[in-house]
Amino acid sequence: MSEIPAIRTEKLTKHYGDVKALIDLDLDVHMGEVFGFLGPNGAGKTTMIRSVLDLIHPTSGRAEILGMDSHEDAVEIREHVGYLPSDLSMYPSLTGLDMVTYFSNLRGGVDMGYVDELVDRLQADLTKKVGDLSSGNRQKVGLILAFMNRPEVLIMDEPSAGLDPLIQREFQKMLREFAAEGRGVFLSSHTLSEVQRVADRVGIIRLGHLVAVESVDGLRTKAIRQVDLHFNGPVEASTFESVAGVREIVVSNGRATLSFDGQMDELLRVATSNYTLVDISTQEADLEEVFLEYYREGRAT
Amino acid sequence: MLSNVFTKTIRDRAVAMLIGSVSIGVMLWWGMAVYRDIDIGFYYENLPPAILDLMGIPSGGDVAGIAVGAMYNLMGAFTLAGLAISMGAYAIAGEERDGTFGLLLGNPLSRRRVLLSKAASLISVTAVGALILWGFALVVPGWLGVDMTGIDVTAVVVAMFLNALVYGFLALALATWTGNRSLGSGAAVAVMLIGYLGASILPITENLADWARIFPWYYFSGSNPVVNGIDWGHTAALGGMSLAFFAVAFIGVARRDLRQKSVDRTIFDLLRENPRTKGLMDRIAGSARVSRISIKTASEFQGLLVITAGIMFILGISMPLFYSLIPEEFTQLVESFPDALVAMVGGADMSTFEGFLQAEIYSITAPVTLLVVTIVMGARALAGEEERQTMDLLLSNPITKTHLITEKVFSMIAFAAAIGLATFLGTWLGAIIAGQPVSVGNLAAASVLLTLMGLVFGGLALALGAAFGKSRLASGGTAGVALLSYFMFSFFPLSEAFAPWAALSPFDLYLGSDPLTGGMAWLDGAILMAVFAALVALSVPLFQRRDLRG
Repeated sequence: MSEIPAIRTEKLTKHYGDVKALIDLDLDVHMGEVFGFLGPNGAGKTTMIRSVLDLIHPTSGRAEILGMDSHEDAVEIREHVGYLPSDLSMYPSLTGLDMVTYFSNLRGGVDMGYVDELVDRLQADLTKKVGDLSSGNRQKVGLILAFMNRPEVLIMDEPSAGLDPLIQREFQKMLREFAAEGRGVFLSSHTLSEVQRVADRVGIIRLGHLVAVESVDGLRTKAIRQVDLHFNGPVEASTFESVAGVREIVVSNGRATLSFDGQMDELLRVATSNYTLVDISTQEADLEEVFLEYYREGRAT
Repeated sequence: MLSNVFTKTIRDRAVAMLIGSVSIGVMLWWGMAVYRDIDIGFYYENLPPAILDLMGIPSGGDVAGIAVGAMYNLMGAFTLAGLAISMGAYAIAGEERDGTFGLLLGNPLSRRRVLLSKAASLISVTAVGALILWGFALVVPGWLGVDMTGIDVTAVVVAMFLNALVYGFLALALATWTGNRSLGSGAAVAVMLIGYLGASILPITENLADWARIFPWYYFSGSNPVVNGIDWGHTAALGGMSLAFFAVAFIGVARRDLRQKSVDRTIFDLLRENPRTKGLMDRIAGSARVSRISIKTASEFQGLLVITAGIMFILGISMPLFYSLIPEEFTQLVESFPDALVAMVGGADMSTFEGFLQAEIYSITAPVTLLVVTIVMGARALAGEEERQTMDLLLSNPITKTHLITEKVFSMIAFAAAIGLATFLGTWLGAIIAGQPVSVGNLAAASVLLTLMGLVFGGLALALGAAFGKSRLASGGTAGVALLSYFMFSFFPLSEAFAPWAALSPFDLYLGSDPLTGGMAWLDGAILMAVFAALVALSVPLFQRRDLRG
């Protein structure tokens, strides 16, 4: 992991008149990681991205990409960044290949062999006019434009919109490969399952505030999961009530079913020191519930 | 009929119609105000009907006749018809292209009912425009104390209304039958312009006069409704044509498969799809046209360039020929033109060949044609990319905003120069063919100054687009300034109090020195160039300081 962060923001703030779209956002995205940026519609995800890319000017605060100032060094930054805007629009009368040619001419140094590889992997059709493509197929062209110069930092705003599940998988694989090569990936999304699958860390933004930055594993340990414990004899519900993180207990005969978001080793210690544990099964932590909890808190405030 | 389709369409279109008709009404007011104080009666009686026809002026009128003729018979009729064409062409084909027609038909409505509602809103919006013009013509003479005896305002407004419907329904019929909006509007505009020229020019030569009847425009202007009142035969002909075109649309709308949201096919696309021509076409239309921003921008507007440069070239060739057909007595009469009338054609002295060229080509037609191109290109250069939401993607490449503006300006300069060149070559060639002696240097000077003036307004549109990110605001604002500049240049000199202000107009820098007879005015040219450069330079900070629309 490089010492220079892929993206760094310091007290990044953006107001539109009275509307505070982004408030004091402090964030580091490292090289070599996929950073998932989550939040409900209108939370400020796109505002953050467009501020970092110098498309809009922050009201206060600043941002860096690869250690360069987002405003002063905007042009040099773009040499190292691949960007996919949300609600992608392109020139409808150009074909996909025209788009790729146009942008590689503006950019220079694009390896067309690599473009062919991307076309293969995403099963894109570059011969049709982009105005005649379905939204998913148009999105593939946008992905190729973002990936084609092998950028050091990839910034993607709602990238998998309209993609079919197979292509989504392939795309997620490409993101992982990019991170594995030591590049930084910033993935704004509200598709929770995608972020869960591909991201190393996630930031959650709500009403312009960054409310949490966690590793996905960390979130997982926080997640409420269902634990089934089988014993060789009857058990008392009260035995487990003292364990931190136990939310709900249903006991029948030799079986206890718990909703649990605490540390597993403590639960096991309590279970094995009082009874003879025969079997244990847990259901995968449901991150979706965790995210929704963050979102809902926003609504309450 | 579907009341909500009807009202929505009216709501979408009413503003354009209000702006259009009120502007024409205001111009009637100004025009009458300027003519009021000038005694033109004596000259007016001596003018040949042919030249009056060209300018839309009814013979037998006076101050009111000139003003109503110039503002309503020409500009009013073009404005109403132009707006009707845009509505007609969009009605079905436009909704198809935008992908909203399918959405509309997701409701339990038949295509024909949608068409009926669209036609009803076209008629209503055009009627509103006509009513506004009618209102101005009733009120303005009262304010100014102009005598309206012998002027039949109602007749001209009715004729204008029906005339607009003819072209609106022609556009509706063609676009609805084919599903191609640009085809509908392009063909209707062409029929209108050719008809206008044919119906005005042919009657000048006696043995060609009857041929004017083949043009729809003849049934609008031929009977001279301003002084002769309503001609029922011609009125019926206009109404009949509208009905016939509507019938075509009515059959056409249900006949074919609807298009999906799509982009228009051009001839290049067809050639690219053909395996035999694909390789060559990919090189020409594909990789070449996206090699850099300026070339891509040029390719976006290539259709506009071909049409406008073509118009100027053909007009350039034909006008000298036309001049040589004009009988000698005519030019003698023209020498007695009143100043006020001369002002309307940009201050040209029509009795000389140069003056004729200036009146017919350089003072109005060429500037309008050129300004359409430079204003559209300037307004869309930055604001257009933002509105299409392609600016984010474009600026994800390592290019500076200054570089982007420079590239866009390159293509605008190239197009303005091409139109200036087409005007110059056409006129020069026409003069050679017609055997009219003309100074090539002077022609070139006028064309260069023309090009530079076009760039000034293009630069203004660019700067407005850079500042606000809205192309309609930029093009509308610039068109307004251009109209005002033309008015300053041509009408202010008639009044002593206003005359000095005329020098502020870019039109004055272009034609004020009379380049067709006097040659290149280097200082005026340098000033135009400096203003253009300043506007472009100003666009950079205006564009940089602002949040881009995403």
